[in-house]
Amino acid sequence: MSRKKSEKKPINKIGRRRFLKVLAGVPVYAALGPVGIASGETRRYGKLVDTLRCIGCKRCMSACKRWNKLHVEREELLTDRNTDLSGNNFVVVNLRADRKNRAQRTYVHWTCQHCAKPACVGACPVTAITKLSRGPVVINESKCIGCRYCYQSCPYKVPRFDFEKRVSRKCTLCYDRIPLLDYMKPACVAACPVGALHYGLKEDIILEAKKRVERRKGPAYILGLEEAGGTDILTILPAKPENMGLVVAPKKVVNQDLDKIRITASGFMGASVLAGLMYGYGHLNKTDGSEQDQDKKGHEDDHE
Amino acid sequence: MKTTMNESPTLTLNAETHSSKEETPSSQPNHPARKTTIRQAFSTLLADMERSPGFYVWVSFLIAVIFLAGYSLLMSLIYSMEIFEFSLKIPWEMMVSNYIFLVGSSVGLCLVVSLGSVFGLKRYELIGKRGLFLALISIILGLSSIGLHLGHPERGAIYNALTPNLFSAMWYMSTLYPPYIACIAVWYWLLARRDLARTAAESEGLRAKIYNILALEGLKAYAYERMPLQRWESKLNRTIPLQKLGLSLDAENADLSWARVLGTLALISGLIAYTIEGSLFAHTEARPFWYGPLYPIDFFLGAGFCGFSWLMALGILTHKLKREQFSEAYRTLLSEMAEILALLLSAGVLFTAYKMGHGLFEPLKVKTVMLFLNGPFSLNFWIFEIAIGLVLPIPILIYSARKRKTAGIATASIMVLAGYFVKKYDFVVASQVYPVIKEGLPSYFPAIMEIILIGGIIATFLLVYTLGARFLPLKEEGSHRGPVI
Ligand code: SF4
Ligand code: SF4
Repeated sequence: MSRKKSEKKPINKIGRRRFLKVLAGVPVYAALGPVGIASGETRRYGKLVDTLRCIGCKRCMSACKRWNKLHVEREELLTDRNTDLSGNNFVVVNLRADRKNRAQRTYVHWTCQHCAKPACVGACPVTAITKLSRGPVVINESKCIGCRYCYQSCPYKVPRFDFEKRVSRKCTLCYDRIPLLDYMKPACVAACPVGALHYGLKEDIILEAKKRVERRKGPAYILGLEEAGGTDILTILPAKPENMGLVVAPKKVVNQDLDKIRITASGFMGASVLAGLMYGYGHLNKTDGSEQDQDKKGHEDDHE
Repeated sequence: MKTTMNESPTLTLNAETHSSKEETPSSQPNHPARKTTIRQAFSTLLADMERSPGFYVWVSFLIAVIFLAGYSLLMSLIYSMEIFEFSLKIPWEMMVSNYIFLVGSSVGLCLVVSLGSVFGLKRYELIGKRGLFLALISIILGLSSIGLHLGHPERGAIYNALTPNLFSAMWYMSTLYPPYIACIAVWYWLLARRDLARTAAESEGLRAKIYNILALEGLKAYAYERMPLQRWESKLNRTIPLQKLGLSLDAENADLSWARVLGTLALISGLIAYTIEGSLFAHTEARPFWYGPLYPIDFFLGAGFCGFSWLMALGILTHKLKREQFSEAYRTLLSEMAEILALLLSAGVLFTAYKMGHGLFEPLKVKTVMLFLNGPFSLNFWIFEIAIGLVLPIPILIYSARKRKTAGIATASIMVLAGYFVKKYDFVVASQVYPVIKEGLPSYFPAIMEIILIGGIIATFLLVYTLGARFLPLKEEGSHRGPVI
């Protein structure tokens, strides 16, 4: 039980000190906003989704709904029913076919990818979204104004509007389970009966994903290593995401701050050109004073 | 200083006791008098209705539409905001497109008016008041359009101030519009103040009082009565020459050079805010069709369309409906504005051709471009955006400008506005289809409840304008001229 030992323990058991650190960090980072993005100090956790092992039982979906107190809609937890992310579905499991090989059909567990550099965080006007240093990207629902700009800027189109609460909602990677020692995995991971979901330190799940892909005979693709600048959710797919009908994100950080500045600067340039043109037009056409002179009585013009 | 501090409370106290003593006996016999004034007002209203039934029919129609919109809003509160959406995957629809349309109109109007007040083109000062009044109501209604679209508009103001996100275009946008609105409002007031004061002088009773308050006329007398203002003013005058700065409390002596200062401020804040508005879309890399530095510039072109079109359409229609004479200067100005609009529209044609052609060769954009060229939006695109909104108005405008035909100019302006409204809707909605909705949507038409709500907002716009055109100084004439109505 010594502390030294606990640091070397397997990934799903966190040392108490680290746990306390995280516990203390959550509110601080939540308050600091985007400043809190992934500082090197705390180690990042992630989730591995192995679609090759998934049997489509949707226990992860129902566990998620139970933990997050979401509505269950009729029939959506049936195995072959396809559902879509929504304010009430933080995670979905859909049967997807490979476009190049129709026989290859796989259940894909799909949720917020918890990007390393999330576009949604940079978009939210009121800093309601934060990337916690531990990994999860969380929407503060009591702050969200419901503008849905995060949805527009997310490369995966994840945060969905909940019409009842009138805020955008999405998977939180169960950051609120972390303080509960018995529940240190996200609800979905804890519920998976076949080990298709795996939660751990980011480095470890990358190794684990690579190992699993190596062990597999057929082709496989790890989604999340580079997409959107790297995400904290890795998904092992039997084919490329575009062939599986998933939304494809560019392999770079999306919505970078510098890029935003570049675009806005070009807009300002356009605006200044416009103002310049108007000034020129005003200057060239100033010869029309005569007809207006009689109108001038009231205004003394000290300009010109 | 001490003496004044001591004096003023006693003075006000005296005044209060005085007035209360006076009022108590006189309030009772006042009653019948008040009744007659109400009856009188009612009969004047009836007489007025008989004289101009068209006005009342129009106003009642607009009010009916607004009530309908109120119904849809109420239903959205009782049931769910979902009634405004036609697809969960397209969360920005008509309310957002209507918002950028109205805000664009406001900035465009501000641009056109600033040609006169800021850039020194005297003839454009004619349209100053109408333009600024329109700019004011369009930005306010535009912001209410987006406010209704928010899940929690009440939090917007709070957290915008408490936890700003300095890398979010939306934050800048919502922060920059309030100062813009303030500048526009004061600018309009400066231009209209003298007319308001004159109207007050010509009317009597309650009406005179209202106009006096609007013009802040009599403020000086009131302030002199209540406060030791004279002493302050003389002191201030020694340090800052108030009169020379044009800071007069009288409407007649107010100097219009302040309009130039406010105009410049409004222009700058409007330009910045509207650039950021374009950037809001242009930043979202996840929406390839919005992304890129093109849109902030495109937005300005659109603002120009709207500014000129609103001014010409409503200016001409109002003149015709009120059977007013077009002054010669105004006619000339209208022709010039029509020509400029034609020029802008031709630039718009080139820009659209470039945008679509360029998009065809970009793998990320091509699917969205095809939605326009040969997809569910093609009717909107070819008929509304291209034919009605861009191409057809050009010859009409040029012909009418040459022949100085106001009807033609008004028609073309309305066409441009209609085309641009549809264009904004397509711009917002079509870009959201890919990459999320691969199989296509069942409908690309806004939800009926949303149409009703937006109808209500447009109706409010027209209603406020109608009332403004009737009761406020908007007419195209030198701001010093006499009565307005
Ligand atoms: S997937 Fe979307 S919602 Fe999730 S962190 Fe990335 S940008 Fe944000
Ligand atoms: S919907 Fe909420 S969380 Fe998303 S950007 Fe707007 S305020 Fe932020």
